Amino acid sequence: MVKFRLNGQEVVSQAQANQRLLDVLRQEFRITGVKCGCKEGECGACSVILDGQLVNSCLVALGSIEGSTVTTIEGYRETERFAALDKAYASVSAVQCGFCIPGMILASECILAKNPNPTEAEIRAGISGNLCRCTGYNAIVQAISIAAEEGKGLW
Amino acid sequence: MVKSYHPVSLQEALAIRAREAVTPYAGGTDLMIKGDEKAGYLFLNNLSELKKITEDGEYIRIGAACTFTAIQESELAPAILKAAVSQIAAPAIRNLGTVGGNICNGSPKADSALVFWATDSKLRLVSSRGERVIPISEFYLGRNKTSLQADELLAEILMPKIGLNNYYYKKVGARNALAISRVSFAGILEIEGGRIVNCQTAFGAISEVVIRRPDLDAMLSGKTIEEAKKAVKEEYLRAYDQAILPIRGRISAEYRKVVCMNLLRDFLESNGI
Repeated sequence: MVKFRLNGQEVVSQAQANQRLLDVLRQEFRITGVKCGCKEGECGACSVILDGQLVNSCLVALGSIEGSTVTTIEGYRETERFAALDKAYASVSAVQCGFCIPGMILASECILAKNPNPTEAEIRAGISGNLCRCTGYNAIVQAISIAAEEGKGLW
Repeated sequence: MVKSYHPVSLQEALAIRAREAVTPYAGGTDLMIKGDEKAGYLFLNNLSELKKITEDGEYIRIGAACTFTAIQESELAPAILKAAVSQIAAPAIRNLGTVGGNICNGSPKADSALVFWATDSKLRLVSSRGERVIPISEFYLGRNKTSLQADELLAEILMPKIGLNNYYYKKVGARNALAISRVSFAGILEIEGGRIVNCQTAFGAISEVVIRRPDLDAMLSGKTIEEAKKAVKEEYLRAYDQAILPIRGRISAEYRKVVCMNLLRDFLESNGI
């Protein structure tokens, strides 16, 4: 039994401590915005924010997050910051198939939370663990820049 | 039901480690790739005693459960270590992965471990019986084999404080991010009054354990840069040419050998040798 905070609510998981957070989120809590791409930390599709930091939920054992705070895209979408990123991504068509996007949005949040005025190089480094097979990244990088500009004061 | 534990102190963790066959879990980024359904973990990720970076007269002391991100952001961590950890994987993995896990995993490709080799760092291993401090070279017994005892935990890495400023670090991987080292090299060269007082090099990712040859590096000691360049350089490179015998991995041994020698030469030449 592991207690943690998930998208603003206290939850208790009945799964074993050695289970991947990714599987617990998808199967026990039906949080399916967290995507399973590779299960080895190579793709970033399962990214969540754990106590303020971007992590790959496939590489997190449930037992390691007792008392922690987890934010997935389902929780993040309720924020003003999400609205700014959503608008920016849409404005440059930075989304194609969408599979990488929940992770990519949370990576974008972590970049801007640390540094509200990132350079292009800093943006690219910040999303370097999130693979996208459709866009070629340029539109995503542009979207994050736009969000930083248009969303001034939010981060 | 597989039992896992959440110790609240290092002392409690060591007591559990002494009586149970549990796997120490710090960052989890290597362990969870396997995702062993039978694993019972000893969670160390919240033990503040293992997450400190401090210094004393002789050493920068790095807690084994410090993440790569914590090291990147630390004021005390030496630049050579920051250079290596900032190139590990990607931000999400650096936020979880730890130096202790990197070392205890036993891989010769561990990028932070290479820096600890090159700097002749020591490891403080603790158990409920006591503690021992050993050079990192004595910790590695072979590929994925270490001298960590069943009741021990790695508590700290002790990096010597002096002589680390003039460093060279290069990782050769297939990409900038999320790339496993194909060859990695770290070197430090201490020069005082125009004379080399100390040279230390280490080669990672090319054999069962990191290659560190203080006997060969000693060839440069006591020489001026000019002497090293004219009289010792070629002999030194020849000696390493014989000493480095890379094994074939995903890439050829020949490629690894050429890259090692290029990096070693570049290390010398970037110092005017």
